[in-house]
Amino acid sequence: MPAPALNPDAYRALEDIVGAANVSNDPAVLDGYAFQYLAELVRPENSPYMPRPAAVVLPASTQEVQQVVLLANRHGLKIKPTGTGWYFFNAPIKEEDLTLQLDMRRMNRILEIDERNMFAVVEPYVIHAQLHAEALKRGLSINIPGSGCSTSIVASACAYAGQGPHTYFMGGNAENVLGMEWVTPEGEIVRTGSLGSGDGWFCSEGPGPSVRGICRGSIGSRGGMGVYTKCAVKLGPNFGPREWHVGGTLPAYRLPLADTMRAYTVAVPTWDAWADAYYEIYDNEIGYVFHRQFNLAGADLAPAFWLMYNDHTKTLGDVPEIAARDDVRKLAEEMRISFQIVLAGRSVADIELQDEILNAILDEVGGHKVERFCEPDMAEFTNIYLQRLGHKHVNFVWAGGYIGSWMQFGTPDWVKGYVPTAAAGLERDAAGGLLVQCGGDAMMGSGSGLPGGGEMGLEQFVSYDSADLESTRAAARHMEDAVKDAAAIGYPPGKEFMYLQMGWSDEQIWEALANSTQPQVFRYQRQIKEAFDPNDVGDRMYPTLPRDVGQGGEVGTPAP
Amino acid sequence: MALTDYRADAMRCTRCSYCKWIPFDLVRSARFAKGCPSVEANSFHAYSGGGRLITMLSLMDERSEVTEKVVDVAFKCQLCGNCDVACKMCRYDMEVLAALSEFRAHLVEMDRVPDAYRPLIERTRAALAGRGKSPAERNAWADGLDLRDASREQVDVLFFPGCKYSLEESLRETVRLQAKVLLASGLTVGIIPEAGCCGGLSARMGYREEATHSSQNLLAQWAAARVATVVTPCADCRHMFTRVYPGLDGASPVPEVLHTVELVDRLVKDGRLELTTPVPMTVTYHDPCHLGRQGEPYVPWEGVEKKIYGQAVVYDPPRPRYNGAKGVYDAPRDVLAAIPGLELVEMERSREAAWCCGAGGACREAYPEYSAWAAGERLEEAEATGAAALVSACSRCELNFAEATAASGSDLEVHDVLELVWRALGNGREAS
Repeated sequence: MPAPALNPDAYRALEDIVGAANVSNDPAVLDGYAFQYLAELVRPENSPYMPRPAAVVLPASTQEVQQVVLLANRHGLKIKPTGTGWYFFNAPIKEEDLTLQLDMRRMNRILEIDERNMFAVVEPYVIHAQLHAEALKRGLSINIPGSGCSTSIVASACAYAGQGPHTYFMGGNAENVLGMEWVTPEGEIVRTGSLGSGDGWFCSEGPGPSVRGICRGSIGSRGGMGVYTKCAVKLGPNFGPREWHVGGTLPAYRLPLADTMRAYTVAVPTWDAWADAYYEIYDNEIGYVFHRQFNLAGADLAPAFWLMYNDHTKTLGDVPEIAARDDVRKLAEEMRISFQIVLAGRSVADIELQDEILNAILDEVGGHKVERFCEPDMAEFTNIYLQRLGHKHVNFVWAGGYIGSWMQFGTPDWVKGYVPTAAAGLERDAAGGLLVQCGGDAMMGSGSGLPGGGEMGLEQFVSYDSADLESTRAAARHMEDAVKDAAAIGYPPGKEFMYLQMGWSDEQIWEALANSTQPQVFRYQRQIKEAFDPNDVGDRMYPTLPRDVGQGGEVGTPAP
Repeated sequence: MALTDYRADAMRCTRCSYCKWIPFDLVRSARFAKGCPSVEANSFHAYSGGGRLITMLSLMDERSEVTEKVVDVAFKCQLCGNCDVACKMCRYDMEVLAALSEFRAHLVEMDRVPDAYRPLIERTRAALAGRGKSPAERNAWADGLDLRDASREQVDVLFFPGCKYSLEESLRETVRLQAKVLLASGLTVGIIPEAGCCGGLSARMGYREEATHSSQNLLAQWAAARVATVVTPCADCRHMFTRVYPGLDGASPVPEVLHTVELVDRLVKDGRLELTTPVPMTVTYHDPCHLGRQGEPYVPWEGVEKKIYGQAVVYDPPRPRYNGAKGVYDAPRDVLAAIPGLELVEMERSREAAWCCGAGGACREAYPEYSAWAAGERLEEAEATGAAALVSACSRCELNFAEATAASGSDLEVHDVLELVWRALGNGREAS
């Protein structure tokens, strides 16, 4: 399969910009970017490859990025920046496009950590684990999104949502982003917020151009609207030690709990009680990291799985034996509706108070702390797992493939409304044995996607074997089923709907956008794209709605 | 095995890039979070563990062909195993390191190898055909030492120095001290004068036939000499003996094999070596890849993949799990701790998270600049500890570090663990 041919003059120009060693059009190298997580669910014949870029370029500076973007404008090329490169959003979308893949990994510096004002300035290939480690040394911490600490801070903050277990306490990255340095699709370097007026990085909205919403778009531009070359993100407080003394044995490392910290797995008897507990936690302002994490392995199997994971001599093949033990079967029932929470206090008295409050909440809703998972080994594991989020790709542990369905955000009461349908849907779709049968409810999600609580979502973890065509196809069918299941109970389509669109034609997407709850957003985004990307170098990951599709006129004019 | 045996591993890769970093729970700074020398030096995703799986898949899918770039991707890698360890933080169904070795063997079969490999493998073939270094040349390092001929008489331990220690002039003092330490314990120590290469370099390059030939030669010599215990100061050799040899079809049984630090650890704990002379020095210890994360012993396995719970991938019988957690980490540290006056300070990346010295995977031979760069990265990390010396337990690590310190003008001393043991036994620096 030949790579789309790049004009030799353009290729030489790229070499002149970044150096010959930092550009490649070797097909095998390019496939390193075309091969992407989730591609096999939407691509023809379930291919694991997205369209192959015409060349991959490794810029080392904002100026090099700018020159590459200007070159793309001159030669009619598309650009697709990628950070650490996890997700099919990172790849080109259309076979016919000549796309320059900008791999940002040479821009990998933490430029500044302002302890007093609690923010850090980073380049695109700084990952959350790196900044988290540096922040800890200074008594600070960061929000790490649900995608885990392996991911790029810039990508998370500027180009996607950036929510996760820390968001309840520290805010999501999309709102924590302060100043940004943005190379627009036309190749202009824009410095946003206070940075744009020469006042430093401290504020996203000014003094200076307040264009965060414009360049990010509704859910983050996902590489479709220029290139972010630097950003500042807020830091949060750290109440634990500045230096971690990690114990345990790979893969289940453990972090001893400071006397100002607690890590609990909490179980409740019903989904009503679960929602009530969340509201009480929000109202009482306790909790530092808050997530329904361990249930990703499935309600039937989660306790057995995590006990296995914490014994380095065991593997997945040992799960059935562990799951069959009486104590573990009881544990599975006990933890069927459960979540994890790390409490952090400013003092021992503070943590004791938070603990008392949590106990009172649990008494009120009929819940309790799960004794086995609160013993030191599991508590220390929970502590490091949730604080660092360095095990997030356990998502893929069962069979190599995982698709997140549902994940509609709302209040806990709203979310609990779709849980039974989501669980039943997975039970139904896995009944034939083509998806992992782990108990129906494999729903995971952060305690809140907003700081202070209020809005959250649960994602159904659907595991399939990405090396098995029939299993892969079953996962693809599950996405379609989940959309129908949601509609049947009056819920909008969830995360899977966004994924499905990756395989759609432009016309199909426009129809979906036109029928979405707020189509004007996408008309507005079209006007932004026309203004900032007249040569169409960005792809459709910055979604827009053409003038002549669907009802409604231009933004600012009444609908016909 | 064949490339296609790793197709499922490649398809199940999620491109998460964990393979580029040390296990995340162990990250203590931005500077030393990186785990893969290859992708750090070469940047394109193809140069990571996961990237190589994709490259292999692309070739299998006939989407691409073997180009010079693909050869570079396959061989410009230390096979250090960090990718494998980091991957196994989350994945029980992936054998990244084994796949990377298979990639090389596949390209060797196609005769698509780095040019630097050709004289190396010709030298090996010549040695296997009886046209290599003479026993006198190989054993010149042992002149004047009280080492027995283990092919003629029984000894407590057979000392196998390996090619580097046998032949590299700059390592001569170190290997003699290692033998002297063993002799100081009262053990009878022998060598087999005709012993050749362990096959390690051939194996790393992907020349399996030559590696197997070397292995069979050694095993036959050991069997004939009724060797009970082999001790080697070379981490590469130990890896071959403990991890590769036991899996060879039809080969003679492998005797007990120990690295010198393992044996000395025993001897110190048994009181047969008394380390009484202070060595007032602050040192940091570098875990050699083949002693550390690849130091777990071979476990025989023959089985099949099967599925439980519909699609969960498991193995019947359970497949051994090499995740780097149980390599030889404590023995060298315990030996160093037993030396009076010596203070051990750890680098940020240690044990299963250690950064490679750069020499592995035949990179020292094929890509010397890249190999030296990787060593330099480690020196910076060692210097950050404030240690006066970087101590290790592998000939290739010692060579690479010694050259890197010379090139950079670093003040760090580079030592083998047993050099410091020798001093603690009451011998001065020049005692050898």
